[in-house]
Amino acid sequence: MPRFYGYAGRILRIDLTKERVRIQELEGDLARGFLGGRGLNSKRLYDEVPRHVDPLSPENKLIFSTGPLVGTMFPTASRFNVSAKSPLTGILGDSNAGGHFSAELKFAGYDQLVIEGRSRRPVYIFIHDDEVELRDASHLWGEDVYEADEALRREIGDRRIQTAIVGPAAENGVKYAGIYVNLMRPAARTGMGTVMASKGVKALAVRGTGSVEVAEPGRFERLVEEIEEEIYSHEQYWPRRRMGTTRILMMANAMGFLPTRHYKSGIFEHAYEVSGERLADEYNVKTRGCFACTIPCSRFYMVRRGRFMGLYGEGPEYEAQGAFTARVGNGDLDLALKAIDMCNRLGMDALTTSECISWAMELYEMGLLTKEEADGLDLSWGNGEAILALIQRISRREGFGDILADGSRAAAERLGRGMELTMQVKGLDLIMADPRGLKGFGLGFAVASRGGDHLRSEPFIELSDDPKRGEEMFGIPEATMRLAYKGKGKLVSYFEDWCAVIDSLEVCKNIMENMEILPFKRAAEVIEAATGMRMSPEEVRRCGERIVNIERAFNVREGITRRDDYLPRRFREEPLKEGASKGSIFEQEPMLEEYYRERGWSVETGIPRRETLERLGLGYAAEELGLIW
Amino acid sequence: MDESGANRLRRLLVKAESCAGCRFCEMICSFSHEGRFSPSLSRITVIKEDRYGFDYPIFCRLCESCPPVDSCPNKALSRSPEGALRLDEEACSGCGTCVEICPHSALKMGEASKPIFCDLCGGRPLCVERCPTGALSYEEAEELDEGPIEAMKRLMERWGIHA
Repeated sequence: MPRFYGYAGRILRIDLTKERVRIQELEGDLARGFLGGRGLNSKRLYDEVPRHVDPLSPENKLIFSTGPLVGTMFPTASRFNVSAKSPLTGILGDSNAGGHFSAELKFAGYDQLVIEGRSRRPVYIFIHDDEVELRDASHLWGEDVYEADEALRREIGDRRIQTAIVGPAAENGVKYAGIYVNLMRPAARTGMGTVMASKGVKALAVRGTGSVEVAEPGRFERLVEEIEEEIYSHEQYWPRRRMGTTRILMMANAMGFLPTRHYKSGIFEHAYEVSGERLADEYNVKTRGCFACTIPCSRFYMVRRGRFMGLYGEGPEYEAQGAFTARVGNGDLDLALKAIDMCNRLGMDALTTSECISWAMELYEMGLLTKEEADGLDLSWGNGEAILALIQRISRREGFGDILADGSRAAAERLGRGMELTMQVKGLDLIMADPRGLKGFGLGFAVASRGGDHLRSEPFIELSDDPKRGEEMFGIPEATMRLAYKGKGKLVSYFEDWCAVIDSLEVCKNIMENMEILPFKRAAEVIEAATGMRMSPEEVRRCGERIVNIERAFNVREGITRRDDYLPRRFREEPLKEGASKGSIFEQEPMLEEYYRERGWSVETGIPRRETLERLGLGYAAEELGLIW
Repeated sequence: MDESGANRLRRLLVKAESCAGCRFCEMICSFSHEGRFSPSLSRITVIKEDRYGFDYPIFCRLCESCPPVDSCPNKALSRSPEGALRLDEEACSGCGTCVEICPHSALKMGEASKPIFCDLCGGRPLCVERCPTGALSYEEAEELDEGPIEAMKRLMERWGIHA
């Protein structure tokens, strides 16, 4: 009988400095308290990366986790999280991706992979079940993601390996480089690729031949069948199959929250030309899917005419699509696909790249940045040539690209202007949704533990704008109305707990959360059937709450307090001028206070209260924070 | 065999353009046969070329002429009336000749050092039933003339990919 069900039960530790590999047993209490994936990573990071570690030093750790459902037929259980202290933000860094890498790591027998120290020479890590090798990668250094992937397949002589690769941008120290699996499914946010390259690691190549067992196979099978049926009969099934996340662009435009020209507007006059509908009708040739996904939503596209004819690849997803169209004022879909393809091959986060470029464009349009300062580039809105040139320069840290390679916040510091116009919170730039038109999303951006993005809470239910849902769930009708403020603290803390559970089980948020397939109650059943750990729905939610709190504690230890939980001034002071959210600003104070109270954090400082941490079994964090603050 | 002499059997068929490469088939196959989840224990295996968006499941194609049957030194492999392979476990020495020789890589060595292969789930293949995109079907047909290499060439030509 295996010691663990669902879990592989093992952790792989690789010390690059000492070139030493150890396999350890998964700590059962951590599985129970933090579930896996993101939760297990955040806990490990809190325990093992003390305050004020330089993110690019050997003392930082790069941690990958699969989850207890990964490597089974549980629909969408394909994902992994990779975490480290972020070089972009200086706080908790963390990113999540799908594809087929996570399942392979699980079949190789690992729940978590902890990479420590720094290699003296460039290496790639080849993991083949129990065999782990640090192999020379000097010949791969400098290769783009595609080239490196092909070279690894040939060298290892097995086309069934799964790879996780960093590109030249990471090697050159761009602070927002990602880690790429299946070529174009990056764990892109917060610079995890930059950390990997700083450790001298070009790639992971994994082949696993083992198996995953669940505690109650019959019950697990029934739950999966039930969930499959629900997915197939869901109203979002076909739109997602057809367009994936690109379906959002037209919706965001119609509701007036599509960030256009760096959030100067919420509607884009070329929205249809760059829409998911157009991609589906004119570009897509085939559906692709992540591991064990029963609603495969990825699309393989082909550009069939024009100057980028012959460009093909998988994707795009909404954030990158919006980032290189509306956000930079570009109405040419082909050019956006080219820009995204370049970001993927060079290995840098398309979203942060676009923030840097669109921020520079805004300064340029306002006369705050000259053509000379921008290496002679004309940074007028939508100038495609300038966009492509800047991507290349950023990846190489050349000229003006060097200034943008540290993110917009650092660029503003270095230039000595434009800080007010950086669209970021805690150093992480905002996503493609204008918070003036989505108040709960905005509150989520403000308090998210990795900085300003939506995936920590994603209170999608606001999009329904339906007061009945708010009444049902929170006893507050306004909680689920997108332009209202009341009840948003409750809404966001509920959804944060939920997202933490989803990320820790490593299932797909689009399906399990957005489509409401895996609420706490069912998650409790699935966890028990898969792992044998008996938990009530309340206990499952508490795991989510615990994860949010350990992440907050990590950030508080690095100096984060209430003053860091604010959106850029534009949203708080400039009303949207047109579209369906016209006249809206983002009033933060009442929501923020409600949120802190809901969380059991100090309203004055935003620091978790001792009793909150103790209630969650995080007394050690209370002790440590007490010493500092 | 039908009257015309063609090898018409009910067999698994794949539409390469519909396979999303999710590998749900591998999971349901290993689970139903072994009670565990493992691509290594699945009788169906999806090969993938991410660069070209290509995915293709490999399985026993019920070829009329079957090198594994013909070459087994212990005559441990035979065919059921439905065409599926059958193994005489007693007779099998676990030498692996069949795994090596199958031109479609449709057999694998299982954990008990005996070959594993598609048994058509006794006439109701679960991979077909549960395929999320309908890429697999189970129907009467002649031997397939398209394998993964031909399918990839065909799709790349159709999409206009010149590699």
